[in-house]
Amino acid sequence: MNLPASSIPISSGGHARERRRLAPLLLCAPLLLLLLALLVWPLTHLLWQSLLPTDAPDSGITLRNYLEIFSVPRYRHALVWSLELSLAVAAGSTLICLAPAWLFTRCQFRGKRLMRGILTLPMTFAGMIVGFLMVILLGRSGFIPQVLERLTGQPLLSGISYQFPGLILAYLYFEIPRATLTLESALRKLDGRLEQAARSLGATRWQTFSLVILPTICPALISAFAVTFSVSLGSFGVLLVLSIRRFTLLPLEIFTQYIAPPTDQGLAAAMSLTLLTVAFGAGFGLRRFARSREVANA
Amino acid sequence: MQPNRIIVLVFALLTLAACPAFAAKTVIQYDCIPNYANWGGVTKAYQKKTGVKVPPDMKGSSVTMAALEAEKKNPKADCAYYNGAIGFQAASKGLHEPYKPKGWDRIPAGLKDPNGTWWTVHSAHVAILVNTSALRGKPVPRSFADLLKPIYKGMIVYDDPRIHGTGFTFVAGVNAILGGDKDLNAGFNYMKKLDANILKYAKENSYNELLRGEIPIWINADGNGLKAKHVDRAPIEVVIPAEGTMTLPLVMGLVKGAPHKEEAKKYLDWLLTDEAQHLMAESFFQPVMPVKLNASLQAKFPPRSAYARAKVLPLDQLAAQADVIKKRWEKEIEGGR
Repeated sequence: MNLPASSIPISSGGHARERRRLAPLLLCAPLLLLLLALLVWPLTHLLWQSLLPTDAPDSGITLRNYLEIFSVPRYRHALVWSLELSLAVAAGSTLICLAPAWLFTRCQFRGKRLMRGILTLPMTFAGMIVGFLMVILLGRSGFIPQVLERLTGQPLLSGISYQFPGLILAYLYFEIPRATLTLESALRKLDGRLEQAARSLGATRWQTFSLVILPTICPALISAFAVTFSVSLGSFGVLLVLSIRRFTLLPLEIFTQYIAPPTDQGLAAAMSLTLLTVAFGAGFGLRRFARSREVANA
Repeated sequence: MQPNRIIVLVFALLTLAACPAFAAKTVIQYDCIPNYANWGGVTKAYQKKTGVKVPPDMKGSSVTMAALEAEKKNPKADCAYYNGAIGFQAASKGLHEPYKPKGWDRIPAGLKDPNGTWWTVHSAHVAILVNTSALRGKPVPRSFADLLKPIYKGMIVYDDPRIHGTGFTFVAGVNAILGGDKDLNAGFNYMKKLDANILKYAKENSYNELLRGEIPIWINADGNGLKAKHVDRAPIEVVIPAEGTMTLPLVMGLVKGAPHKEEAKKYLDWLLTDEAQHLMAESFFQPVMPVKLNASLQAKFPPRSAYARAKVLPLDQLAAQADVIKKRWEKEIEGGR
């Protein structure tokens, strides 16, 4: 293997340096190979599958599967709903989590670790578990509707978990830790002296926030948005449990087209690649944008 | 630690992880849902008796068939369990290997393939399972027609027919019960009206949700409802619809190229013994073998007269139409906003 380390001119002590670099590189190699194998081979396979019509695989390459995503209302809706839901969840979680992230980086208080633990806990749950939690909390015989019924005599909010607001809530629930952690690590890097300077130059609290802090943390907000958007776009475990009537997301359509016969693997592959392109494109574009902002601010 | 030692350590760990774990004897059954037909209890009894483990598997009938098809070149499963029509379809796709388990001759004709590619293990009926306490004073629905009443809005669940065989039998069979023609329009019209009252089309097993009252009305196999009532002691009523219902033979087959074939054969033999058949009857699925049930258990089954209007749907026809019916359901019932 031609390692870049070998290009370093070997002087006294160069050998040790080389070895210091060689070990991590060697340790990374299996990971790199695994990632490449997991990425390149299935993607090629998917691309090939998506170009063949499932019912007539011998008839040659066609874009029919891709066109179907946009021409069949159900699939078009699935794509649009996926985008809508992910945008809403990404925007919501980024905004909501700014406050706790700020709190965790700037303030010391009792119970901070506990609060942090609670806020990051949902990240460890699979989507299906979040779905079950939603049913227990806001299902037809969920905890909150039962309490509300005891108080008001009306089964308010009953079964809301099987409706769109319930789904948004469930998605927010497991995006909150991701957004909090992303924002927190970015805020930690924020230079506190900038604020002090602004304040000592006579800026009001609001001016400091809107003119100094906000532009500085803008890249962090964008990257939190990008992360939560991509993750929401791909997850459907919640919907698998809630099976919201007449509502579907593109990942769920992929799942059913792939596993429930009569399967249409060409269509599923086309959907997967569409989703992948959107998620990757959005993530990449937003992060580039964020980086350019960072440079502008520096 | 020296870098070289780290490398050695990592490689040693990798080698260790690659070693096949000590394989306890197992038989893999696709579609082995513990809360369906008491598979949990049946497989536990088998493990206790023989030490062979049959792990749970949450695939529905259709997903099972799809998995077997995908793994055709390198089968992972030993045997599979389905609703009759889907099992028939899987067998005709050549996914099964002919095998006639012990006691074969005592399975009534019509409930098995003469070549042994599939056979019935027990049967049930599609019924309306009602959690009466979750109805909140509303009357118990007595018929398929009752289910269309607006008072049941958001209370009814049936399984996604593209995933579960029981949901498929309901979707494919309700037409015949309502006296529809071959075009199935009567059935689909009914399901379109029913859609207004549906809470969800379940993709997961809903047994526990019925018990808890999260789902007030579940259209599923009568046996699961009777088990909820008599074994799990939930306030469940099992309603055989006034219009009649459809019988739901549940079939099995030996997977072609099964990795544990000999163990699987022994297991499939055992499933037809009096012991196993009685266990299935204890969860209120009608055994396919002529086993004598004790009087108190027999008394808990609905009287034979309740099933007088139950229709036996021809499996070959259902199997032939299965893909078309599922696609139509996807388009007409679940499609579009």
